[in-house]
Amino acid sequence: MDEKTINDSGKFGDILTINMGPQHPSTHGVLRLILDIDGETIVNATPDIGYLHRGVEKLAENRMYHQFIPLTDRLDYLASLSNNLAYCLAVEKFFDLKIPERANYLRVIFAELARISSHLLWLASHALDMGAMTVFLYCFRERELLLDLFEIATGQRMTSSWIRVGGIRADIPDEFINKAYEFIEIFSEKIKDYEGLLSKNRIWLQRTKGIGILTKEDALNYGASGPIMRGSGIKFDIRKFEPYCIYDKMDFEIPSFEDGDVYSRYLVRIEEMKQSNRIVKQALDELPEGPVMTDDPRVGIPSHEEVNERMESLIRRFYLMSKGFTPPRGDVYSSIESTKGELGFYIVSDGTEKPYRLKIRAPSFVNLGIVPLISKGHMIADMVSIIGSIDIVLGEIDR
Amino acid sequence: MGLIENKLPDNIFTTTLDNVINWGRRSSMWPVTFGLACCAIEMMACGAAKYDLDRFGIIFRASPRQADVMIVAGTVTRKMAPVVRKVYDQMPAPKWVIAMGACATSGGIFNTYSTVQGVDDVIPVDFYIPGCPPRPEALYDALLALQEKIKKEKVVRA
Amino acid sequence: MNFDEIFAKLQGDVSSDISKQVQFGCNFILSNKDNFKNIIKYLKEVFDFEYLVDVVGIHWPEHKNTPFEVVYNLYSIKNKIRVFVKVFIPDEKIETISDLYKAALFLEREQYDLVGVKFIGHPDLRRILMPEFFDKHPLRKDFNLKDRSWYNDVDEQNLGIKYKHL
Repeated sequence: MDEKTINDSGKFGDILTINMGPQHPSTHGVLRLILDIDGETIVNATPDIGYLHRGVEKLAENRMYHQFIPLTDRLDYLASLSNNLAYCLAVEKFFDLKIPERANYLRVIFAELARISSHLLWLASHALDMGAMTVFLYCFRERELLLDLFEIATGQRMTSSWIRVGGIRADIPDEFINKAYEFIEIFSEKIKDYEGLLSKNRIWLQRTKGIGILTKEDALNYGASGPIMRGSGIKFDIRKFEPYCIYDKMDFEIPSFEDGDVYSRYLVRIEEMKQSNRIVKQALDELPEGPVMTDDPRVGIPSHEEVNERMESLIRRFYLMSKGFTPPRGDVYSSIESTKGELGFYIVSDGTEKPYRLKIRAPSFVNLGIVPLISKGHMIADMVSIIGSIDIVLGEIDR
Repeated sequence: MGLIENKLPDNIFTTTLDNVINWGRRSSMWPVTFGLACCAIEMMACGAAKYDLDRFGIIFRASPRQADVMIVAGTVTRKMAPVVRKVYDQMPAPKWVIAMGACATSGGIFNTYSTVQGVDDVIPVDFYIPGCPPRPEALYDALLALQEKIKKEKVVRA
Repeated sequence: MNFDEIFAKLQGDVSSDISKQVQFGCNFILSNKDNFKNIIKYLKEVFDFEYLVDVVGIHWPEHKNTPFEVVYNLYSIKNKIRVFVKVFIPDEKIETISDLYKAALFLEREQYDLVGVKFIGHPDLRRILMPEFFDKHPLRKDFNLKDRSWYNDVDEQNLGIKYKHL
């Protein structure tokens, strides 16, 4: 705290600078905010980040293309499968690969399940910050079902590295399909509970309506993407605008609300969970049979069964795993609609097996830029609700 | 106390003071919510519906002043390290530290310019949990092991 | 509205000293340091590229004349098209575009911190991810991935921490 302002602060109108975080229960990680306050009103809020800067982009320059996949898991660790997908799509653009249809369907199923799990965790912690303990427990209950699903298919609860360049790691086991249908059933019922607890709750409304208003123009100008953009009335979703995998075949809507406050961002995410549930159901219904990894010799990793039977596959697998693959020279950018917004990978290749430069366009990082703008004039307690509503993940912000 | 209510009227029990103190300490460990990265999510899952840490008397506490266990859940970077130490210094003794996950233990896969290679450079650690991130069961194991450790501590008699 | 039309209009109206490149499905406009800002401004005002997605800085030590490259990633929601503006710069200085897009405030700070490109005119060009006392730029090619030698240089909070595992 600034000594001088405390001593002089007898009269009204003095600005006091206080520190919020990096160790604070409602900053969702190690975010630090420097708040200039006038009484209880925020005059200015400056985010201070980098407390989780782990040097992922530099690590990428020292790793082979497929060795980088586990690191993408730990960017946005709430939806690691989305990150895998975004990265693999970018690398696949170098080779102009044809991904097997079944792999594409499975990718979409898992990206959408990851979206639900991430939004559930967002809702849990956002509601907990505002004092709604029950929602926290409910959301985690359903999230555990999802993590069980991930574990059945990928072998890991959170950081699965399951989506690979050229397809996916392995096909799903048989029991997955039924379990996934079961989850869809349960979830479409349970989501009504969350809405029932919050959507018309007077305390919730008072703490979210009219708080942290972001106008359409500002949302664009600040580059905010994802649910924040859609909460401000811009109907933009990469799944519709630049469709990847099989999203062009899926029937779903982009929810958007005009108010631009914390409440409309909440509504967007609730609606998105319902849409994701819909997409998963469609994809499961139409899931085709077939291989899950491309047979393109440049990147396609042969399965264990093939390796056990054929010498050539063994050699190819060994070669790809030890020496990696070399994309042509050039720059490539590919982005997906991740749970937080536009997640993009800009990769510069110099023709070797390692990326020359890899830049991650992290949605949370850009979205955090709106905090100084939308928190002005609000109370400190509203700051908690604003941070919660932009749904930041520090792993992705700091990288 | 339904089980023993009115069952033992006017009795005297003898035990050592150490036993009583350690019983109290180990039955109400309050970890400070110190989530840094991915492991923090598994730590939250531990406290939530399915795994439920409350049944061990473990309740997460946001303020280090009222906490006695610190679970370092996630990657400690060079910029964060002084903060970790500062939070640790604010905790009242006796205090214990659990390094959760590969990053807090040894830097894990982040062998880079900005990651501290093990939180034991900054604060003393009682238990290390491997895994990236460890499952909630693994965190349980460490917490139960910590309870066993507290049980054996000498408080009044050195 | 496709990329060729946009490029033709740019060449006529802003500068003829630009070239285009389509690589792996990405549309690049190569420009020089002097008129890249006019190009971005023109793209924003005429073709509604209102959404600045990303700013990427790249260090090329083997390019003797232009050791730094900055790529701006722009998207037009109205026209559903993505365009990259690529600028090679001879020194590490380039004009800021934070007066056109507020998103650049954060994105340029990050590139300054990690790559060391100086954005002239940026209102608050400070380090954003690394600590204030760190004086290098980690994403430059001459910086070693495992360079932890700076850990004990400063004890910023006077806590007496000594890092042993460097």
